[in-house]
Formats: sequence, C-alpha cells, structure tokens
Amino acid sequence: MPITKLTRAGVGLAAALAALAGAAQAQDCTTKIGAVLPTSVDWGRPIAETAQFAVDQVNEAGGAAGCRIEMVLRDTQVDPKVGVDAAKALVDLEGVKVLLGAVSSGVSMPILTSVTVPGEVMQMSCCSSSTAFTKLAEEGKTGGLWFRTFATTGVQSAVGAKVAKDQGYGSVAILYKNDDWGQDMARLIAADFAAVGVDVTASVAVNDGQPSYRAEVTEALGSRPDALYLALYPAEGTAAVREWISLGGTQNMILANSLKSDDFRDSVGLQYLGETLGTDTASPRSDSADAFRAAYMARFGKEPNGPGLANSYDAAMIALLAMEAAGQDASGADVAAAVARVTDPGGTPVSADTAGFATAKGVLASGGTVMYQGATGDVRFDANGDVSAPAVVWSFTDGGTEEVEFLSLHDVDTFIASLK
Amino acid sequence: MIGVVSYLVFFATTASILAIAVLGLNLQWGNTGLFNGGVVAFFGAGAYGTLILGGMPQGAHLGGFALFYPLALLGGMALAGLMAWIVGLLTLRLRHDYLAIATFGVAVAFENLVRNAEWLAGGAKGVRGFERPLRAMLGDGFLYNLCFLAVVLLALVATYLFLERLVASPFGRLLRAIREDEEAAQSLGKSPAGVRLTAFVTGSVILGLSGGLYGTFYAFVSPQDVLPTLTFQIWAMLIVGGSGNNRGAVFGAFLIWGAWTASGWALSRFAPVEAQLYTGSVQFVLIGAVIVGMLLWRPRGLLPERLVVSQRGKTPLAKQGV
Amino acid sequence: MIQNLIDGVLTGAYLSLGAIGLTLVMHILRFANFSHAELLSLGAYAALVCDALVSALVPVFAAKLGPLSLTWALTAAIAASMVLTGVSAVLIDRLVFKRLRDKGQELSMVFASFGMALVIRNLIGLIFGLSPQLYSKDIAFAVLLSQDPLILVKPDQVFVLIAALVLMMILHLVLSRTTFGYSLRAVAENPALAQVNGVNLSRTIMAVWVIGGGLAAVAGVFYGLSHQIIPVMGRDLVLPIFAAAIVGGIGSVYGAVLGGFVVGIAGNLALVILPSGYTPSVPFLLILAVLIIRPYGLFGEARA
Repeated sequence: MPITKLTRAGVGLAAALAALAGAAQAQDCTTKIGAVLPTSVDWGRPIAETAQFAVDQVNEAGGAAGCRIEMVLRDTQVDPKVGVDAAKALVDLEGVKVLLGAVSSGVSMPILTSVTVPGEVMQMSCCSSSTAFTKLAEEGKTGGLWFRTFATTGVQSAVGAKVAKDQGYGSVAILYKNDDWGQDMARLIAADFAAVGVDVTASVAVNDGQPSYRAEVTEALGSRPDALYLALYPAEGTAAVREWISLGGTQNMILANSLKSDDFRDSVGLQYLGETLGTDTASPRSDSADAFRAAYMARFGKEPNGPGLANSYDAAMIALLAMEAAGQDASGADVAAAVARVTDPGGTPVSADTAGFATAKGVLASGGTVMYQGATGDVRFDANGDVSAPAVVWSFTDGGTEEVEFLSLHDVDTFIASLK
Repeated sequence: MIGVVSYLVFFATTASILAIAVLGLNLQWGNTGLFNGGVVAFFGAGAYGTLILGGMPQGAHLGGFALFYPLALLGGMALAGLMAWIVGLLTLRLRHDYLAIATFGVAVAFENLVRNAEWLAGGAKGVRGFERPLRAMLGDGFLYNLCFLAVVLLALVATYLFLERLVASPFGRLLRAIREDEEAAQSLGKSPAGVRLTAFVTGSVILGLSGGLYGTFYAFVSPQDVLPTLTFQIWAMLIVGGSGNNRGAVFGAFLIWGAWTASGWALSRFAPVEAQLYTGSVQFVLIGAVIVGMLLWRPRGLLPERLVVSQRGKTPLAKQGV
Repeated sequence: MIQNLIDGVLTGAYLSLGAIGLTLVMHILRFANFSHAELLSLGAYAALVCDALVSALVPVFAAKLGPLSLTWALTAAIAASMVLTGVSAVLIDRLVFKRLRDKGQELSMVFASFGMALVIRNLIGLIFGLSPQLYSKDIAFAVLLSQDPLILVKPDQVFVLIAALVLMMILHLVLSRTTFGYSLRAVAENPALAQVNGVNLSRTIMAVWVIGGGLAAVAGVFYGLSHQIIPVMGRDLVLPIFAAAIVGGIGSVYGAVLGGFVVGIAGNLALVILPSGYTPSVPFLLILAVLIIRPYGLFGEARA
C-alpha cells in the first residue's frame, strides 16, 4: 500500500508541476461559480471573504478544470426571497453549475428546493446546520446535489459535554442563540449533559437583535451553575459574556465553535477567559489545517477565527476540487458526483492551500482520487451530504487559540456511542 | 437565452406574489386608511396555514393533514382572515401611528410564536414536507415554473378585478368616505367600525393568499420569511407605485422588486471584487435613498390615485343605495 | 425577581431618554419618526470618535472616574456628541422632513423616516464596520448588594440612572418655567395660532430637533456604556423606544419617562413569566394592553 501511495503521490507531484507550468494557458477561459452569502451581516462578511480567498488560491494554482475561476458573490440579506432570487439569477443568467451558500438554513432550504435541485446545480453550504436537510436527503429529495461542511451539531454537543465532565463541573447553565442551529444545539447538549451526569440548571434562549441581554444573563446567573455553556454568535456572545462576568458569574465557560473569534476574545478580555474552553471540529494537528492557517494569516493578518470561516474555506475548496475532478463543461450533477473522488479516505492526501490544490490537479488528471484534508480536518461526506469530523478542545491565547485536546474521528464516535 | 427566460419567469412569479400582497395592503391603507404595520403576520398566517394543512405528516409538529391543495390554500387564507378579525376587533379604533405600532407588535409576536413553538410550526427550522401540487405530472423544472406563474397571474388578475369592482361599488365609496372623514360618514348613518373591520379582514385574506402562494412556490416557510423586512418591502411597493390605485400597487411591486434584485445583480456584476463585500450595505443605502427621493419628488406615487367623482349631484343619496 | 426589577429601572433610564425626544417630535411635528433610534447610533458613534480624539490629544483625560468606566474624555465626548447629533437631526429635518412637511404630507414623513433609518444605519455600518465596538474594553464589575436574594448593581448603571434623571429634571424645568417651554406647548396645541401670537415656528421646530437629538445622543452613549455599540443598535432600540413613548402617551414628557421604565421593567420581568424565546414580544403585548384600556396612552390626550 505505501508503495502505491508513494507512486501516486510522485505522479501527482509531477503532474502538479506540469499543471503549474500550464497555468498561464489556463487563464484563457473563465468559469463562474456562484456564492449566495449574507455579506450585509457582521458575521457573514468574513465568511464571504474566506470563500473568495479559497478561489484566489485555486487561481494561483492555475484555476480549476482548465479555467480561471470567478466567484460571483450575491448578498442574501438573510432574506429568503432575496437569496432565492440571487441563486436563481446566478444559475440562469450566469450559468453557474456550483453554488456556495447560503448560511442560514432558512435561506439555504428554499434555494435547494426551488433552484438548485430543479436546476441540477450542486449546492455546497458552509454553515446551514438544520437537521431538516438530513431528512430531506433521506427522502431522496436533494438528488445528491446538496453538501455542507458544517459538521453535524451532534459532534459539537458531545464534545461540549465531555469537557464539562472532564473539568468536573456538577452543573451547567446554557445560553443559546434562538435560531435553528441554537435550538438544535440546546436540545442536544442538554441530553448529552444529562448522559454524563451534569445538571442543567437553566437553558435560556437568546434572541437576535435584543437591545439588552441582561435579563437572560440574570436568569442563567440565578440558577447558580458551576459553569456556563454558550452557543451564541460573537455579537450577542460578547454582550452576554461581558454582562455575565460583570455580574460576577463564573469564568468556567464552555464555548461552541461560533465563539472562536478574535473579536469576541478582544472585547471580553483574555484575563477573563483563562478558564474558558471551546470546542470545534477543526483539527489544528494536521499539517493541512496549519497550512490553511498560515496562508490565511498571511492574507488577512489574523487567525481564521470566527463562525464558519474554516467551513466556508472547505466548502469552496471541495467544490473547486470536485470541479477539477469532473473536468471541463461538467454538469452540476457531475460535479456533485465528483465530490466523492476528492474526499476519498483511500486517496492521496492533499493539503488545504495552493500547493495542495496543484497536487490534487495532478492526481486527478492521472485518474487517481484524493483525500482533501481541509481546514476543518479530514472532511468526509455521508450519503446525505453531511460531514463528520474529528474534534478539538481549544482555549484562547494572546495570539489566537491553542489546542488543548485532540479527539480523532474514532474517539468522537466512541464517546458519542458511550452517551447513548 | 433560455436562461434569461427561465429567470424572468421566476422573477415574475415572485413579483406577482408580492403584487397580490400589495393589493391587499392597498385595500387597507390606500382605500380605507388603515395603517397596517403588521403585514407580514397575515402573509405568514397564509403561508404557514397552507403548508401545515397541505403538507405531509412531519411528526415533530402540527400538520401533515395533506389536504387537497385548493382547500389548503383556502384554509391559509381563512387563518389570515381569522387573525385579522381578532386583531381588528382589538386595535382598529386606534389612531394611525398607534395602530401601526400595535399591528407591528402583532407581527413580532407572530414571528416569535412560530420561532419558539416547535409543536405548532416547527420552530426556527420552519415547515417543510410540503409537496408542490401536480409536481409528479409537471416535474420540477422550467415547465413547472411556467405553469405556476400562470396560476399566480390568474390569482393576481382575479384579485385585481375583484378589488377594482369593490372600489367602484358603493362599499368602495363608503371606504373612501371613512378614510377622508370618519365623522361625516358616521353622521350619514354609516357604521365606520364595522366597515373598517370588513376592509381589514378582506385585505388580510388577500395578504394570506399571497403568503400561501409564496409558501407553495418554495415548498417551505420559516420564521425568516416573516421578519419585519417584508412589511417594509410591501409598504415601499405601495408608496412608490401609488397608494389608492390598484394598478399603481401592482406596478410598484414589480418595480421595487425589480430594483431590489437588479441592484444586487448590478453590484455583483460591476462592482470590483473587494467592494462586493460591501454591496449589502450599499444596496440598503440605495433603497433607503430611493424611497426618500420618491417621497420628496413624487409623493403620491408613480401612478397616483385617480379621483373618482361618485356623485353627479342630481340623484339623492338614498337611491344610489350607498 | 428584585434583581429583575432593579435591572428594569436601570435599562429604563436610557429608554426614557430616547423616548422623550421621540415623543416631542411625534407631538409637535405629528409624525412617527422611525429614524429616531438612528440618532442614538449616530450619537454613540460620534462619541466613540470624539472619545478617541480627546484621549489621544489629552492622555490625562483617559483615566477612569472612580468605579465607573466613564472617563473625562468620554464626558467631553458626550457633550460634543450631543451637539453633533442635535445638528445632524436639524440637517436631516431640513433635507427631508421639512420639505415633506411643507407639502402637507404628514404620512409621507413616516415612510421617509423608514428610508432615512435604512440610509443612516447602513452608512454607519460602511464607515465603522459591522462588528460591535466598546468605549472601554475593561469590564466594570457589579457590586453585590445582597447575597440572598441575589442583588447586583453596576456602578455605571447607577450613574446612567442618576444622569438621566438629572437631564429629565432640567428638561422639566425648561418646559414648565421658560417662555421657550410655553411656546413649545403652544406650537404643539395649534401651530397656526402660536405663530399669530409671535412664536417663531421654524426656530421652535429646530429647538425640538436639537433637544431630541441631544437626548438621543446621551441615550446612545449610555446604551453603549451599558452594553455595546453596533451599527444595528438603532434597529434593536426603535421598538422599545416607541413602546415607551406610546405607553406613556404621545406628547407627554413625563409619560415617556414613565413609559421607559415600564418597558424596561417589563422586558426584564418577562423571563420570569414567559419562556426566554418570547421576550421580544413583551413590549408589544404591553403596548396592546395599554392601548386597549387607554387608546392614547397613560398620559396622552385624544387629538384629531
């Protein structure tokens, strides 16, 4: 096995060099891909920037499927009508075969049912978390065109519960964002806490766009928990945690990956986050995630911390790899079918950067398959387009975040099984 | 080319659905002077009602009655009407601004309810599991969209004709009379409260029809569809088109929705890549500026209300059967 | 429970300040100004810029005052921001609302204010970015007043409450003791008659905007001090402020003050009664309840 793999990698490398040499010629044509993302919201703009960043890297490697890639970005304004119309315009007017987005499940779902599935366009979302997509796929209504790089909420919640147990917290209060992701998260984590024997003293929904989160925080504080679990986004997370700490709430906090954000750390203050642990599905241990991180820092001057950034990068990268694998003039269904070829566990590992993409081009050109090691770890989709991933427990540092504990896919699966 | 036609059919469908909603609001505001700030609640009631009544069983929440589609749609409209009746009884005696805020509150409460009550409407995940009618026969593609557009246009024309006849009827005159001078109408022995309630409920049923068609088109509805933005969009359509004029209402819907989508398209096409990330904010600035500019230079809308002379002065009022 | 009540009073302070300006404008210019809350954002961001300027020019002023997160620099910035916001309010009126008023389009003004709110909010977002900002990153700790029941109060919030009450007192004195106060009320009652009696209408309207804008600026800064500054804060605050003005009765300054506290308390008590997801509905259920009993608010009067 190692020999074949080595040969394959060697062939890949050679082909990659050839591909790099051929890059100039690839610039002659342009293939458009579509992106429908909420660029007018605070957390949406960086997600779009990251997708564009992946596209730029691919263009540095000579583009995909023989052509330079142009990402046509449309704002959804988090309004389903606007998002669906934008998606339809991208498919019909720009002729895209691959669509990245959307973020909110409430926008992704109507796009899927009324634009991409009827139009046979592959849709790859970074961040839509609703379990409704899994159900839709199980009913066979996504036509295999739907993917998301957002690891199912179950991994996050299980690891969150593991942290609480390992830290010896007897009781936890939960603050969750009152949207589809947060509601799922709150339900799952409550069950997981119960399974590991941690009391949930309060589970408080935090609505978007409230002028003050004082009442919600007071409610959680009144239940006097050992620790606080937060499934919030940075804007309301910052407000809630500052309130929490100023009221003397415990600094034992467990964060979902949405709060892995520099803005959040800076606004709350590192001095109050010493006891805070976060969970994420990214795997900073792999070279690939490091490559992504380094390239991202070179480009944006900060770490890729924030909700959905790594997921958005992987969504764009996998879509482009699949386009490369499907070849020129491929249909949306072809590209969707090719996703398996670029996330094949037995394939040649490629990293998440320009060089990785160039390597992949070579391997794919010679008929091989690759295993994309993404910014969120080894991405592997199941039949429903869902992804499962290894997990990591992290904490905040001066420069960003650091890994505290790494759980391989196997560890995660074993732990989840132990909860049942 | 096919792409352009396909997109235009899609665009026209959304615009027509919105135009129906604008017509409903025009009856309430343009003709009767009722400041409904909670348009989206009645629109949402129609959408949720239709999908819950017509959808397949989902287990987790109410619904899955899998009713025959026209019945589900009528049920959605009836739900919107019922809600309007209750809200109207409570709030219609309020003055303009107060009524606007009270109805706005109803819309916020409605969104809150569907977002939180998972047993009722699926919570933040929304309602799915709805099969678009005749999908098995027409497939999912262009043909379906074309047929659906035909149905929506039919509904739009029917609504338009109904409202035109209503406005020209004695009841329509009564509505305008109450809008202009409630006391005068009252002194003529009319009951403004009852008439206002009738107009409010009728307008809301039309909003419900629009919502029902919207839910059908996407085969999905979630709390994100019933945010206050939609109320604002529908109002902008009416104001720009010309309130009090049904043709203006329809025209406004197409124009504003066209401008809304075209500005996004143009920005994504012509703005440089770095600037594209700011297009969302820029678009909202433009939309706000257009509305303000419109009010400054064409305050009565592009197609202003036509002043109707109801009485030629010779026949006594009673004979007209007002 | 007691904690919720106290929190309600403290959050009510900035809602009241916002509602006073809104109620004055609604009463005198007779339109529901949906862009009023954007004046709060404008004020908060103006103060953010001035604060940074003053702190950079005179570093001594950047030191904190006692237990508060307030600094001399920010105090100076508040004053500057009041002026800037007041002037902006007058400019917006001149540019948009006055022109509509001259055409006799009262309801157009309501819609125009929707449009203006969108423009201002998104311009702020374009200039300052969409992420939240803070006057001071340090967290001001609450003081424990009682262990059981748990009662915690933040010094900043007490300051905000006192400062708000002082401002309200000053306004009260101005309105009830000065000629200006009389002319303001005269204009509200009957603009034409007031003019006949020698009240300068356009100057009075200007004064209303300056007062409304100034108070909005203070409210915005106080909000930012208690929570955070974010471009969409106007959108989040517009409804509670409207609720406060309407519950109090439009045109009544005292009503607005009371309304602010009522809305603040209701918002904080809501969680005790309702599941947490329903909190945004509470101000409205309150409005609905008040209006069903008293269609013109607690202190309002019927007016054609």
